[in-house]
Amino acid sequence: MTSSSTTAARALDELIGLAGRPATPDIGDAVVLDDVAKTYPDGTEAVRGISLRVAAGESFGILGPNGAGKSTTIGVLGTLVKPTSGRAWVAGHDVVAKPIEVRRRIGFAMQDVGVDAFATASELMVLQGRLHGLRKADAVTRAQLLQRLVGLEQVADKRVSALSGGTRRRVDLAASLMHLPPIVFLDEPTEGLDPRSRGAIWETLTELRDRLGVTLVLTTHDMDEAESLCDRIGIVDHGALVVEGTPESLKSTATPTLEAVYLHHTERQAA
Amino acid sequence: MNTLLLAQRTLVQFPRNPMVLGFSVVPVLIMYLVFGGLFSGVSDLPGFPTDNYFEYLAPTALLLATVPGMATAGVSLATDLQSRYFHKLLTTPTGVGTVMLGRLLGDCLRLAVQAALVLLLAIALGAHVESGVPGAVLMIVMGTLLGIVSFGVISANLAIRTRDAAAVQAIGPLAFLMIFLTSAYQTTDRIDSPVLRTIIDLNPAEYVLRPMRELMLSGYQWDHIAIGFLAIAGLGLLGLPLTARNYRSVYG
Repeated sequence: MTSSSTTAARALDELIGLAGRPATPDIGDAVVLDDVAKTYPDGTEAVRGISLRVAAGESFGILGPNGAGKSTTIGVLGTLVKPTSGRAWVAGHDVVAKPIEVRRRIGFAMQDVGVDAFATASELMVLQGRLHGLRKADAVTRAQLLQRLVGLEQVADKRVSALSGGTRRRVDLAASLMHLPPIVFLDEPTEGLDPRSRGAIWETLTELRDRLGVTLVLTTHDMDEAESLCDRIGIVDHGALVVEGTPESLKSTATPTLEAVYLHHTERQAA
Repeated sequence: MNTLLLAQRTLVQFPRNPMVLGFSVVPVLIMYLVFGGLFSGVSDLPGFPTDNYFEYLAPTALLLATVPGMATAGVSLATDLQSRYFHKLLTTPTGVGTVMLGRLLGDCLRLAVQAALVLLLAIALGAHVESGVPGAVLMIVMGTLLGIVSFGVISANLAIRTRDAAAVQAIGPLAFLMIFLTSAYQTTDRIDSPVLRTIIDLNPAEYVLRPMRELMLSGYQWDHIAIGFLAIAGLGLLGLPLTARNYRSVYG
């Protein structure tokens, strides 16, 4: 084990200790989508009646080509996009009627990384924690642990504007975990990251899921990521869920790899 | 609590943003010094309300600090919308209103400090605030409120629509125009053009500037102060719901 991975492992242990809970609280299904549709004002039908359930402590991957409706679906769950019809619940709370209650229980790392260019990485993370109700000293401690965990110690006091795209993504992800939420939404979380950073983030997310029972819902194009992180996968195309199941159940003799399953379903839709 | 945290963020961010810092503070102080020096002879005219033109010009300079200054707040909002940080904040237990209010509060504090700097410069140039410290505070409050309900609203709406900091920055000169089309530099009875006088009479900024100048030169004219606050309230009642509606129409 290298010294950096030892540091990260210790940081993770400390962070999990700070969470003060052995597992996700009993919230039943962490995520429920019931016939959710979204049409944007310009007429684009981004999502057309998606229904699915994600159990607490489960990790669910949403796969699909560009424009399939993945980001809109996760945006609805993260309370950033209002559905045109249908309903969605996160941790038992309706995302439209009780958005603040939903936000208390989620972390959301967005595809378009949302960071304040004029803040330092530390300031941004501490503010995120404080907005979730952490005391300043606690927020500072957690920020330092998360920085160790995802390799941000060297850039913690640098302005976000001076950081590379990949590093900003790690800052955004770390900020999303500041309050150790029971449910984490990740919109293409490792896009643009080098293999080492990607591995560190996968490991962090897996540990959070396994040791804290954190529910993960992520969108991705990366089949390795989907297989490594996800208990179940849903493939969406043209705004609809075309198939869902465990990675193993989706594979068959005709489609022996997840990539083949993905191509089979999305090309059939396109045809 | 979250409002205060976000206001604090606005105040920390301000000196780090050269565009906002540069456009918000420096031109006002330069304009005050230049116009005050250039037109100082105006105060020698018979019947002019003061013999120190810097004293007459101080409320104008205060508005020049707060109104275009609030327009620059829209630049910061556009930057947050463009970078998606605004939406990142909305993934915390914080509503849109709180995010907006936090920024507004931070910007109000910043503009109040800028306005106070203008008044301190005026005093250093020999001006005297007839209504004393409470009157000076009232001037700052009126100027800041006018900034919020006029170009604060316009720049916020432009930021929501365009998410483009440069586009929002471009409306800055309009804020100066709004102030210039008042009795900013000369009493209205000395303005010959009836068209210009009509424009001044229709300009809500005039109804705020007038009592501010009276606070500077002669004391409290409560009826004029009330009219000033009515003008501010009218603009607010028009602009703030419009902003909320605009936000909903863009971001659902």
